[in-house]
Amino acid sequence: MRLELILWIGVTVHFAWIGVLYAFIGDDPAGAALLIIAAGLGGLVAGWTWSWRRRHHQPRPEDLVDADAADAIGVVGVYPTASLRPLALAVGMTATVLGIPLGSWMVIAGVAITASQVALLVRDADQ
Amino acid sequence: MTTLDDARNLRLISVEDVIGPPGTTRSGLPRTLSGWLTTTDHKAIGIAYAVTSLLFFAIGGALADIMRTELARPGMQIVDESTYNSLFTIHGSVMVYLFAVPFGFALANYLIPLQIGAPDLAFPRLNALSYWLYLFGGTIMLLGFLTEGGAADFGWFAYPPLSGPNGSPGLGADLWIVSIILTGTSGTLGAVNVITTVTMLRAPGMTLFRMPILTWNLFLTSFMILVAFPVLTGALIMLEADRLFGAHFFDPTAGGSPLLFQHLFWFFGHPEVYIVALPFFGVVTEILPVFSRQPVFGYKGLVLATLAISALSTSVWAHHMFVTGQVVLPFFAATSMLIAVPTGVKVFNWIGTTWGGSLSFEPPMLFAIGFLITFVVGGVTGVMLASPTLDFNLSDTYFVVAHFHYVMGGTVVFALFAAIYFWWPKVTGRMLSKRLGTIHFWLVIIGFNLTFFFMHLLGREGMPRRVADYEPADNFERWNLIATIGALVLTVSFVPFIAAIIKSFREPPTAGADPWHANSLEWATSSPPPSHNFTWLPPIRSERPVFDLRWSHYPEHTAPGMSEAWAARGGVPPPNGNGGVPPPNGNGGVPPPNGSDEEPAP
Repeated sequence: MRLELILWIGVTVHFAWIGVLYAFIGDDPAGAALLIIAAGLGGLVAGWTWSWRRRHHQPRPEDLVDADAADAIGVVGVYPTASLRPLALAVGMTATVLGIPLGSWMVIAGVAITASQVALLVRDADQ
Repeated sequence: MTTLDDARNLRLISVEDVIGPPGTTRSGLPRTLSGWLTTTDHKAIGIAYAVTSLLFFAIGGALADIMRTELARPGMQIVDESTYNSLFTIHGSVMVYLFAVPFGFALANYLIPLQIGAPDLAFPRLNALSYWLYLFGGTIMLLGFLTEGGAADFGWFAYPPLSGPNGSPGLGADLWIVSIILTGTSGTLGAVNVITTVTMLRAPGMTLFRMPILTWNLFLTSFMILVAFPVLTGALIMLEADRLFGAHFFDPTAGGSPLLFQHLFWFFGHPEVYIVALPFFGVVTEILPVFSRQPVFGYKGLVLATLAISALSTSVWAHHMFVTGQVVLPFFAATSMLIAVPTGVKVFNWIGTTWGGSLSFEPPMLFAIGFLITFVVGGVTGVMLASPTLDFNLSDTYFVVAHFHYVMGGTVVFALFAAIYFWWPKVTGRMLSKRLGTIHFWLVIIGFNLTFFFMHLLGREGMPRRVADYEPADNFERWNLIATIGALVLTVSFVPFIAAIIKSFREPPTAGADPWHANSLEWATSSPPPSHNFTWLPPIRSERPVFDLRWSHYPEHTAPGMSEAWAARGGVPPPNGNGGVPPPNGNGGVPPPNGSDEEPAP
């Protein structure tokens, strides 16, 4: 994770310095705000990566130049089965957004579908 | 160095020696309609992304053909002005939002887990959600044509006040905005998925600096998507609030600022150009070494160039706004020209990869070379346009149209077909015809240059973009007619492509796991790959694990550490004698007699 952390710190530093530079010479509050917020985004992930590194055993097999498949033996990940919920959730989100300009009942239906599907997805994940 | 005598007795290992002959594993793809509707398999979703984006490509191309037909002669022949406005708006939007970016996601979906040795993407259900949002969003954009007043007609960057409540009162504009909000959300979710996958799911030994360049580029593209796409979604929600709820974000008569929208849009819009291009740079970087029989030249340089492009691309946005007179010209001119440096490094490395190699001109290689030509032309005109003095004259002329069709259209179309010809055997287990592919390539490169090269001249003569009609003066009608003929050739070029696809499906899936004798990890599993991708992984000791696998009996040619890795596994697998058999299209599995094949890894 060391390189990943460096990458995200790089994102943060890049946007911070170019944002400060642009804030001084740019005469454009929108662009300066976007750059500074982008630095915040990088900082958020850099912070998460840093804390993940502290909480987990390092280095991982994928970061070692001489690791082999046997070093990561065990459960690699738990993969979900086929599920209708992504499709239903997409229908709900589309209905919500599309209902706004159409000014119709679609928004209510969309919010209901979205909420129920999110709840069901969360329940699936808990099991 | 292998000599001629050695070459006849090479003890090369083929992937089939380890995982079994072709046809013994089942692909994990769904077999029923309900299977496809509920799938969370990254390969199925990748194929769905690719097919959908190619359908949108066909639709966008058909819209372009209508426009080119209208422009063939002066005067209005087949559409009226307002339909023409809708045509170029939806053509641009479909090509950028619904074709180019999603095809990048098709590559990311299908190839990233295979290239890093993962069983799937990190969030398979989120991935399925991304796909469905993209499909629904794209469909909604096209539904605009059915509304009263027609589809959105304000250009693909939707500047207010033209796109505001008074400029475009129709429902078609609202559908366009909704569509981009949905596809933008889909892209953001996809980027989260890619970053998490690359960070957390690499196989042991697959360090960041051993990942294929394609995976690197998709990884860094996702960084840019995270920075750029939410800004666009936000700007469009503000625009929709202006239109529906009487907000005045972009309404100058009530204290709003149209320029704010331009800043927000291009803060997304310029990274977007690289979001479109970088995955296809990655494709070419995968293909050139394979057909040059050499390792990629300057691997770390390519990664650093991608990093530099990603970083710089977020600070050049206002070069699209030079003519507003409201931006700091020196800052944006300097950053725009700077970005040519890492891009030049990439071109240099691509040429270095082919330099002195043992080249073979299979269709993927032809399209990769076509990509290089068109991309360099587009890049050079880009540097010209980065200069404000030139941009003041050329902005909003056909010169700009020619520039971005070379740099985006050329990059995407050539690298896209290169990718399809290259990975078709991996996805389907079948080869695409070399003869039809070669015809296809020549039609595309002739048609493409006929269509777009003469637009440079049109723009230099001062023909503005986005006009449905022109006066027969200054050679306008001659260049326009040539461009229209070029568009016709491009359309015809799909005939050999579709013929090649039909032909390949009539043949049995016997391509084998590694038909091109390629380098990266996706070729170490069967074609098509089984459910969850790998039954077996070779040791990963360099960025070319499958090359190292093939040459395992020749430790002097493989990466350092391969012998130790095999020793820890109990020895190198014995070759069954089919490692040196040339693949179906006669590509070099056996080194040429001069022994220059496949230089050892540095």
